[in-house]
Amino acid sequence: MDKRQLPDLIINGVSGGAGGTYNSVQIDGVGKVTGPIVTRIFKGNGHMNLKNDLSAEEAECNGTMKVLGHLRFNSLKVDGMITVGESFRGESCTLHGMLNIKGDCELEDFAGEGSFSVGGLLSAGHVDFKLQGQGKAHEIGVESLVIRQTNSGVWSKMLSGIIPKLRSELRARTIEGDFIDLEYTIADVIRGNIVIVGPGCTIERIEYRDQITVHPEAKVGKVEKIGE
Amino acid sequence: MEEDLISKKQLLELTGISYGQLYRWKRKQLIPEEWFIRKSTFTGQETFFPKDMILSRIDNIVNMKDGLSLDEMADKLSDKASFDRVSVSAAEIIERNIVSSVTLGKFGERLGVKNGYSFDQLTYLLAVDRLLSAGEMNMEEAELLFRTLMNKASNLESESWELFFIRKMGVSSFILAQAPAELWFDEGVKLVSKILSADVIEQLKGKLAFKLVE
Repeated sequence: MDKRQLPDLIINGVSGGAGGTYNSVQIDGVGKVTGPIVTRIFKGNGHMNLKNDLSAEEAECNGTMKVLGHLRFNSLKVDGMITVGESFRGESCTLHGMLNIKGDCELEDFAGEGSFSVGGLLSAGHVDFKLQGQGKAHEIGVESLVIRQTNSGVWSKMLSGIIPKLRSELRARTIEGDFIDLEYTIADVIRGNIVIVGPGCTIERIEYRDQITVHPEAKVGKVEKIGE
Repeated sequence: MEEDLISKKQLLELTGISYGQLYRWKRKQLIPEEWFIRKSTFTGQETFFPKDMILSRIDNIVNMKDGLSLDEMADKLSDKASFDRVSVSAAEIIERNIVSSVTLGKFGERLGVKNGYSFDQLTYLLAVDRLLSAGEMNMEEAELLFRTLMNKASNLESESWELFFIRKMGVSSFILAQAPAELWFDEGVKLVSKILSADVIEQLKGKLAFKLVE
């Protein structure tokens, strides 16, 4: 890293910026940045609209953020909603709220509560997620995956009947991993070493290597043991 | 011509690695994105890999794992420049079984090497060695192939080439083309073998990994 002191970018109120390389970027209020940002620390409160890429070592987002390009980070904390136009890559991500990614999502640690949608591949070391709304990914490839549904009250149950997007369930075409522990999941294929299928699951086909547990309330099509 | 592919399932069975490891290595860019080839099959969409390349890459990763962290390995494997600096002595080539002593003895001297063989020179030797040891060509043809590679391969603009070894009515010849190339031959031509530079390079990287760990 360059020894020179990098500048800071501070946006307060309703304002914009051009992007560049910074030591820290702080946006409070409504901020719009047109160019790509490379920064050590990124802090956003309010409504952030980034028209290009964001790469940050430490990032924090409270409120809504839209990144049209790629988002890279070391650690990211989200309270609110993030929309990413391209790929999403980092070490660890803690999410409380909504995550919407059009491209691939690659993380080492992914934990949180809320809902997410990944257009491409969700690849992660460890996923520990509590669903409060829909989780969606085209493909999932992980070392360990734990999906739980948070206790939904009467209101959310009624609402989810009307609006399918609010139903707390995970939808994916294929899920592959070493350790898979699921609840309320709809998938075509699950392939893994240890597979635990909880209540509310509808799975067409499971291929497992070591161990399988299926909850009586789960609907599972074909189960096959592979390997040896 | 179809490239030789292997499905993800077969790959895992063959190598004994798990899904988690495979995805982890992909995230660390140890396995390039382009190698993940999506194809539709009767059971839906499946992922395939170029067989020779992925197998030797996984071999490399497994062998290098003890000495290096995943990030260090990713840097080394993707960075061809670090291999370009490598020079290998004749003794090491024999000891590490990089190419056979027959190939080395016959062609090695002709490279006029004093201090050690460079990465590019080794790729040529390895390509010749592959066909020779597979018993697909005789010494005379090996001679011709070696000369072709030495004189022509460096003229190619990109680093990746494909080599076609064909025979017609007992007369053999080589065609060197920039990859990806697709050629069609007349009926009398028998394609004896095809070599991709990417395959050879990948194999060689694995054999030379010890040079980088030191």
